[in-house]
Amino acid sequence: MSVEPIIRVRNLVKRYGELVAVDAVSFEVAKGEIFGLLGPNGAGKTTIISILSCITSPTSGSASISGIDVVTDSLTARSRIGVVPQEIALYATLSARENLMFWGRMYGLRDRTLARRVDELLDVVQLSDRASNRIDTFSGGMKRRINIAAGLLHRPDVLFLDEPTVGIDPSTRRSILDLVKKLNTEGLTVLYTTHYLEEAEFLCDRVGIVDKGKMIAVGTRDELTESIGATGVIEVRADGLDDAVVDWLASLPEISQAARSDDGLTLNVVRGANLLPTVVDRLTSSGVDIHSVDVTVPNLESVFLHLTGKRLDEENDENNRRD
Amino acid sequence: MKALHIALKDLRMRLRDRNTLVMMLLLPVGMTAIIGFAFGGESGISTVEFLLVAPEEGGFLVDAAAGFLSQHELFDVERASEEEARRAVADGERSAAVMIPEGLVDSFLSGTPAEVRVLRDPASSIKAGIIQSMVEQVVSSVSAGSALGRGVFETLDKDEPLSDSEQLALWGWMFMWMRDAWTEPPVSLDTADADTVDFDVHAYFAPGFAVLFLLFTMLTSAKTIHEERESGTYGRLMAAPLSETSIIAGKMLGSYVLAALQILTLIALGSLFFGIEWGSHPGATVVMALVTAAGATSLAMLIAAAARTGRQTDNVGTAFILVMSLLGGSMWPIEQAPEAFQRFGRFTFNYWAHGGFKKLIFDDAGLAGITQEIAIISAMSAVFVVLAVLLLARRRA
Repeated sequence: MSVEPIIRVRNLVKRYGELVAVDAVSFEVAKGEIFGLLGPNGAGKTTIISILSCITSPTSGSASISGIDVVTDSLTARSRIGVVPQEIALYATLSARENLMFWGRMYGLRDRTLARRVDELLDVVQLSDRASNRIDTFSGGMKRRINIAAGLLHRPDVLFLDEPTVGIDPSTRRSILDLVKKLNTEGLTVLYTTHYLEEAEFLCDRVGIVDKGKMIAVGTRDELTESIGATGVIEVRADGLDDAVVDWLASLPEISQAARSDDGLTLNVVRGANLLPTVVDRLTSSGVDIHSVDVTVPNLESVFLHLTGKRLDEENDENNRRD
Repeated sequence: MKALHIALKDLRMRLRDRNTLVMMLLLPVGMTAIIGFAFGGESGISTVEFLLVAPEEGGFLVDAAAGFLSQHELFDVERASEEEARRAVADGERSAAVMIPEGLVDSFLSGTPAEVRVLRDPASSIKAGIIQSMVEQVVSSVSAGSALGRGVFETLDKDEPLSDSEQLALWGWMFMWMRDAWTEPPVSLDTADADTVDFDVHAYFAPGFAVLFLLFTMLTSAKTIHEERESGTYGRLMAAPLSETSIIAGKMLGSYVLAALQILTLIALGSLFFGIEWGSHPGATVVMALVTAAGATSLAMLIAAAARTGRQTDNVGTAFILVMSLLGGSMWPIEQAPEAFQRFGRFTFNYWAHGGFKKLIFDDAGLAGITQEIAIISAMSAVFVVLAVLLLARRRA
């Protein structure tokens, strides 16, 4: 990276007793970039954001924002960042304007400067007409937008967005993603955590894949997909799959990775354009009931599968069950 | 400055919450009204009826004691047999019966133990308490007179034994002294102008319930520290450029202002609805109110800091406040409890807070008269705050 990074993380470790939540994570984010932290629930993304937001202290390692150490000079570092937590961190019985005025004051804004900035942001998130309404009267999407606006009041160098689209409908999700894109085109650096592959692919200039506290890969989408050497992905939705047939497919030299999920199978293909008939023949001869077969180009899902041997949504489900 | 904004935000949110307003004002006023109604709905007690069980030929001492107990217009005394007295008290016809034993004079002269018994109706604890306190006054005078008389006799007998007529004259003087002590006690409460003992039930219970519901309001307020953690706003505050000390200070300041508003409003409502006179030293009343608000704020913050969640704060805090209010006399007249029980009560915030207000109302104490209560509640508040901050800091670490 040629320019001075706005976020620099070096060998960051966070332990809770025996549990290692963040395990020697290092990465850098350049000014003006949208950097995504992609990983299943419980991978350690939120802990990384908490350390960078000065809410949690690291066990070891270092992190800086605009060259300011988040541990030794946390008050200054905090004034440079905007934080949008996963939860709707707003006061439900206060109005949108009252919330923004309060959070602005927490960042040292006063009087007319604050009032002007609040008006600007209400306009940016398209809620000027609802400024006087209480937050508990808002829809989920409107709350999300005010939640983001509260992180932008003091014009931070970098905005941390921690899974801002969890639990919202597709159209609201799209409007949030568009808002983040718009803010980025205006020059804002964004650190975005998500467990949705499509969000990371749509939004992020570069992605760091996090699993079990470790950063297992960092790069642009193309860099990451090229790194696994796959030329295609075959996704099969089927019933009646067993381990024997999956193992047989995984042993084919044209297939670099095979992973089962609840409703089917994903295969990373490294070469062999005519592999599809072989796969279908083998599955049908083994008594598998095939519902659909898709052939796609490699994506971040393929990268995650290649690196962990599991699909991302599969690991999310596992972690949710554990929680 | 940021702490002030946190306090103002909390205050605005609390005052918008109808449940808070109900707990702050409606419940304590309602409870005081109900208790007043339960005790007869009168603001003062004009008559205390009791039965006297005493030997017919009890002698001068019994006659003097009976005369003293019945001399005041407040008391309506009738003589009765022990059986009649027990039945009347058990049936609630009389608040109490005073039983004077046979041979009281002999015990007085010889110094051998005698027992005056007060049989009380538990359902009429206040009136029975008044009778008991009057009997205690008589018994202590008789005991003092007996000890004094025998001391005088021993001293005089050392040099030259007294003749019967001298002994009779001396005891006569002793009886006169005691009668005078009862009717015009050298050290006593000033009751010279009182036609009735002005025991105002509302005035007794209003400060008790005010303290009790002040604690509940503060618990709800302190609990917001957990609610903010659970909703993510605390984390967002921690990510803003301000210290955690400012956050805690802001939350405590908001709670304190709310507490002060509540207790001062309840004092005003007490005067308005129940005609309570909170003493003739308004400055002392305001100081007592502000110190009580500080004590309740810091105690609730300590409970919240010790709890792990908002729900735990509610459950543990409610139980703790109720037990403390029972021990400290916020819900009943602790003066009627055995001494050992009252000793426990002294360890509670409620005891001192209610005690301070009772001194203002019933003793017309000024600031000097409530320094002990102010000092103890202030010391408690300081300890509670330090412990709360330490617990909150430890939780974060």
